[in-house]
Amino acid sequence: MIRFIVLLLFLAGELAAQKPKFTVGWSIYVGWNPYQYMEKSGILKKWADKYGVDIRVQRFDYAPSLDAFVAKNIDACTMTNMEALDMPAAAGVDTTAIITGDYSNGNDAVLVRNGLTLNKLPGKKVMLVEKTVSQYLLERALTLNGLKDQIKRVTLVNTSDSDIATAFITNTSQEAVVTWKPLVSQILQTKGVTSLFNSSQVPGEILDLLVVRSEILQKPEGQKFAKAITGAWYEVMGQMKSDKVLAAIAAGSQDTLASYKEQLSTTNLFSTPQSALAFTQSGDLKQKMDLVRQFCFDHHLLGDAKQVNDVAIRYADGSIQGNKDRVRFRFDTSYTQLAAQGKL
Amino acid sequence: MELFAINAQPSRTITWILSWLLFAAGIGSYFWVARERHRENPEDRVVPTLTQMAQSIHDAAVGSDEEAGHESLGSRFVHSMLWQDTLASAKRFLWAMVLLIPAVLLGLHVGLFPYVGVFFLRFILFFDKIIALSVLPILFIAFGIDELSKVMLIVIGVTPTIILDTFNLSKSVPKEQIVKSFTLGAGNFTVAYRVVLKQILPRILNSIRLNLKAVMLFLFAGEMIAATDGLAYRIALLRRNMGMSTIIPYVLWVALLLFLVDWTMRVMNRRLHPWFRE
Repeated sequence: MIRFIVLLLFLAGELAAQKPKFTVGWSIYVGWNPYQYMEKSGILKKWADKYGVDIRVQRFDYAPSLDAFVAKNIDACTMTNMEALDMPAAAGVDTTAIITGDYSNGNDAVLVRNGLTLNKLPGKKVMLVEKTVSQYLLERALTLNGLKDQIKRVTLVNTSDSDIATAFITNTSQEAVVTWKPLVSQILQTKGVTSLFNSSQVPGEILDLLVVRSEILQKPEGQKFAKAITGAWYEVMGQMKSDKVLAAIAAGSQDTLASYKEQLSTTNLFSTPQSALAFTQSGDLKQKMDLVRQFCFDHHLLGDAKQVNDVAIRYADGSIQGNKDRVRFRFDTSYTQLAAQGKL
Repeated sequence: MELFAINAQPSRTITWILSWLLFAAGIGSYFWVARERHRENPEDRVVPTLTQMAQSIHDAAVGSDEEAGHESLGSRFVHSMLWQDTLASAKRFLWAMVLLIPAVLLGLHVGLFPYVGVFFLRFILFFDKIIALSVLPILFIAFGIDELSKVMLIVIGVTPTIILDTFNLSKSVPKEQIVKSFTLGAGNFTVAYRVVLKQILPRILNSIRLNLKAVMLFLFAGEMIAATDGLAYRIALLRRNMGMSTIIPYVLWVALLLFLVDWTMRVMNRRLHPWFRE
């Protein structure tokens, strides 16, 4: 009898093992926290079972999640459009964005003390995490205000995101900082600190995506995985109006409902597949990505690329920005399309 | 079979071969992995090849050829990223080492003078258990975010160990020796500096040598938290764009520098205290 049970267990194990396994890495951010809820609530399991795949969700710190994705330890990962371009794509890992989750609509901000103005920033020290969207936002702020030639005169102090809030709050002599929410909200509570510029002034340039390695999408089980995660994503999006769900999402990242709602207010979440499609298929996206890729190239973030076109981007309509034989980053809306048509 | 004989005496050749074997295995497997990964993805940046690293070392140490113009290699090196980073880190490192001197003296006094001992010892024992990295906000308030806080992070992280070690060493000097010195007419401070400190100094230097890595660890932590230059600043930045071809040479360069500091201290110790045998 015992032998029989052992045999059964063994067979069950074998069957389970045959399901193709996929791992999604995510990090704490207003637009990515739903991934944890997706798993906890069982929504992900439901969709994974429907497509006969096994999906695991794992939380990382942001930088290590990118490392893990580039090293091919995980199959899918949440990241911004900028990091998708300068981390995996620049390292030769062909990457495809399958879900355009949201864009930062005020989550990233340039904060100052003592009513400092943008034209007084040159010659001053600014705390930020260098080579990230923070630096991008600062340069866009200066450029849009006609201070492009002054960018080099700003001294950047590379500050770890885990310490940037306390470091800025406790140093009253430090006059400027660029960071993201929820840190921005914490810093703004300090007396005398004001926001000078935020990402709502450059809407749609800082995108939060779910990307997968393109090679995965070439296999049938990979496509099943993409369908399952997209289906689960929009099911969660559909529930985001309920406070109960929002509270559960907030709790998953040690946040409160009020704080999470505050962050959502400055996030342009694409809560329906239709809205994500409209944005990702529009011509605007190309102009915005062009600004981002130029920034990456100017700051030597595109690896060994000799020119900006060496890391080319393919858009949903099939058009290519850059050298045709060097496509490294793709926007694929086909799964979102299926969701919009209710065919998932 | 002699392999596990305690009395075995491997020949010179065998010693040479065996002691380098793990290096060869490490380097060999690295390049094997690099080749495999590059076969699959020619642009791989996670495990760079020798050519990629050579190019990066060249760029880091003498700058890129296009920008340099007609400058001599020497002056290009002095202005290079690698040298400027090394100078910035070295300055912080030296300050921290200088601040270890009062720590040693404090340990000595705590060990020898009962009034100093009762005043400091309990507090230092407590302070030693504080994880410096976890009280960063306090450090920021007290010392700002510039150079001072980086040096203080090292000092707070390493000095308690050095103080307590000096304390223990000064306690280990036989009481009889101290009594004898007094009977020979020595004063309190003569005993402290010329009898006790003199004979425990080589051990203190060895203890500092063992703590070099801790010094470096705190220095790196400080530079990764907030900085505009330095070796760890560069490594933190390069991580943002997978610059492993520069990071690996940087790490080896730091290892080499650390080895040289350790070696210099060992030679110095031997020169200053030829009578010391351990």
